[in-house]
Amino acid sequence: MSGDPYSERVRQLFEAPRHAGSLGGALSATLEDQGVRIRLAAEIADGEMRTLRFQAWGCPHVIAVAEAFCADYEGKSVSTLLEFSVSDLMQSLSVPVEKTGRILVIEDAVRSLGNIVRDASNPDD
Amino acid sequence: MIERAALVYLDYAASTPVDSRVAKAMTALMTVDGNFANPSSTHAAGRRSVEHIAHAAGQLAALLNTDADRLIWTSGATESDNLAILGGAHFRQERGRHLITMRTEHKAVVDPFNVLEKQGFEVTWLDPETDGVLDIAKLEAALRQDTQLVSIMHVNNETGVVQDIEQIGTVCRARDVLLHVDAAQSVGKLPIDLEALPVDLMSMTAHKVYGPKGIGALYIADRPGVHVDPLLFGGGQQQRLRPGTLPVQQIVAFGMTAEIARSRMSDDLEHLRAMHNRFWSGIRDLPGVLVNGCIETGFPGILNVSIEDIEGESLLLALEPLCVATGSACNSQIQEPSYVLRALGRSDALAQSAIRFSFGRPTRIEHVDFAIDRYRSAIEKLRRIAPERVQ
Repeated sequence: MSGDPYSERVRQLFEAPRHAGSLGGALSATLEDQGVRIRLAAEIADGEMRTLRFQAWGCPHVIAVAEAFCADYEGKSVSTLLEFSVSDLMQSLSVPVEKTGRILVIEDAVRSLGNIVRDASNPDD
Repeated sequence: MIERAALVYLDYAASTPVDSRVAKAMTALMTVDGNFANPSSTHAAGRRSVEHIAHAAGQLAALLNTDADRLIWTSGATESDNLAILGGAHFRQERGRHLITMRTEHKAVVDPFNVLEKQGFEVTWLDPETDGVLDIAKLEAALRQDTQLVSIMHVNNETGVVQDIEQIGTVCRARDVLLHVDAAQSVGKLPIDLEALPVDLMSMTAHKVYGPKGIGALYIADRPGVHVDPLLFGGGQQQRLRPGTLPVQQIVAFGMTAEIARSRMSDDLEHLRAMHNRFWSGIRDLPGVLVNGCIETGFPGILNVSIEDIEGESLLLALEPLCVATGSACNSQIQEPSYVLRALGRSDALAQSAIRFSFGRPTRIEHVDFAIDRYRSAIEKLRRIAPERVQ
């Protein structure tokens, strides 16, 4: 016997992932690990992430966390990418601890995107 | 929360609703004006319960073309499987301790064999062909002088693959080896003639055929050397093979479901074929879709499909409010690929994307069309949001 493995919020994010898609010409990071494929793309202006999009192949929690990240971080400073941790999102979405490995792939992808954005902003560094 | 009314149920291989006539008869028996008396009691009310049970046994026996006294009532197919396999192996262990089964059996068969292996029995686990069917030559090659029991299911619960139990039974009978058949998915759905079939033990349950949960039966053939040791002790009921107060209302319900199934089996099969064919026609053009099992020879009540490059857990959620079964066995919060589909040679990814659609008497064309639409849109959505593979 098992209860509902998904919180109401996960169901909402999975059902309507408003940030799913790609951004032509934007900076992007793609990772594949732990049975998860994730691609994050960002349009940057004035040091802020104007638009964030994701593409994901994974379980509903992966898609929900990716959607929640994009929704939360649009409009924030690009510097926040390098400090991103999935732990708060995992807690708020009640992601089962058994899925930590695959959710951490999203954290790695966000930080990878952060590095790409930083390098693009400071090409001489 | 999904509203009850919005659910579209296509999981009839897991369980079926109780036929309303059966539910009414059951309820009537349980109350003070019914026949609630213990059938072991010798008073008039008890004797009346015995008559009800005898009538129900006759109804089930008629469905299977056997004698009513060959049927032992149990709590369901799991108990029947355990009684047949553990009881049969123990009864015959003086003659030998080698047993044979398949890797695609239900857990109710697999686990008793695992127990017997721990008890020192030797088990040969046969692999199916890629279509799920057992190659009889493999069975013949696996039989030994000390083989005492073979257990092969009739209709596979995940894939709908139908095994040729007549041929399997003929091979076993020629070597005086007991054949147990888990027929949980086939009794009341496919014709079974136990007078003609060389089957020694057969497990069945009511709730897969529009009866209540909690009642099943084990058929034990009337043939020398065919017997089982009991698993339960505590009373003399049912020739001491399965003691315990008999649940009159459950047994009466099983008998009624058997009679109803017998009267409409060909209509049911025709209906299932129509639903099955309509659904398959509606999804077969999707790129990467694969049938697990055999579309032509499988039981039409079950269609198990995998699809390339789709994550199974997300697919299952995207299919809601369809009630269907995943090919995965849920292990905690992580879904593991089905061992049945792995045995058919499917990769972990394909096994994990498998969905079992199973149809029943209440299934209507609208349900099937809804399922087609839902499956196609779920696949389209998940492919749309998936990135290209990293090179």
